[in-house]
Amino acid sequence: MTQPIAMLDGPLWPYLALMLFAVLPTEIWRWLAVGFARRLSTDSPLLEWVRAVATALLAGIVAKLIVSPPGVLATAPALVRVAALAAAAGIMFVDKRRMMLAVLAGETVLIGGVWLFAG
Amino acid sequence: MSVSADWSWQRVALAGMRDALMLPAWIVGFGLIGIGSLARDVGYPVDVAVLSTILVWAGPSQVLFFASIAAGAAWSAILIAIAFASLRFLPMTMAILPLLRRPGQSVWQQLILAHYVAVTAWSEGLRRLPGIAPHQRVAYFLGFANTCMAVSSIGTFAGYYLLGTLPVPFAAGLLCLTPMFFLISLMGGLRHRGDAAALILGLVFAPISARFIGGGFDLIVAGLIAGSVAFLIGRKRKPA
Repeated sequence: MTQPIAMLDGPLWPYLALMLFAVLPTEIWRWLAVGFARRLSTDSPLLEWVRAVATALLAGIVAKLIVSPPGVLATAPALVRVAALAAAAGIMFVDKRRMMLAVLAGETVLIGGVWLFAG
Repeated sequence: MSVSADWSWQRVALAGMRDALMLPAWIVGFGLIGIGSLARDVGYPVDVAVLSTILVWAGPSQVLFFASIAAGAAWSAILIAIAFASLRFLPMTMAILPLLRRPGQSVWQQLILAHYVAVTAWSEGLRRLPGIAPHQRVAYFLGFANTCMAVSSIGTFAGYYLLGTLPVPFAAGLLCLTPMFFLISLMGGLRHRGDAAALILGLVFAPISARFIGGGFDLIVAGLIAGSVAFLIGRKRKPA
């Protein structure tokens, strides 16, 4: 297991590790954005580009979580994982406001699929 | 739910809380149940798990943190991986802050608003904030985001003690809520062809990029390429 840094070891180490190695590298980008965003208006092309990149990054995380899933989600066969997302996406494609129905459809496919093929 | 321009800030904040409780807060909350069980697996106290939800406020960063400790990764590698995975917050925060910015707002207020930027508050914010009067957006956003954070803290706490006791299909279903809601939120916020292109190209490029680019850079590269192509597709649509 990852060892605490000796001079900082102690019962407070988990808290310190969280601040240094999780909070700091996450929060820094939000802070930097505050500095940059002050000089941009809502409809600038640069912001449009930035938004497209952020959307693609998020879609990328979805794809990665489905292709190489964490923990017990890996027990669901790949086809079931993809089908669950496709079911949710299909409902959103027909009607954007049906978010709850989309979640229920996706979860039904996933839980049912694991039950049938991996349970 | 629509917000009338003459409402007090308290009523607007309540509308934000209600919209969060209509679904998004529950999804994030359920999505972060897994964090509790990961933290428990590495022997960290339950309050570190809950603090990670409040202070990091980014599911992927939290998964990386606890899963990397479990895998015995070096601290420097954990730091770099989380920094790369969180790079998306730079463009995301830059995209949403102009909607929340008001004359006379201090840098401190903006830093606090920026802290709440994560997938749900961001995609839901981009979708809902333009329909709300500018002077009411901060109250709405804070009501919405704090509700998501409160429900998620409870979810993380519950997961620390619960997830291992659930039957496999339900545990898998809970873990799948995270990517499912990311996708649903993105689809709900699509405005034009450029947005749709970014979504589809991102889905397609990320696994390809993961195969060819190592060291934690794959997601950034995929996002930059897919996003830039989508941006050009979106620009083409507009008459010159």
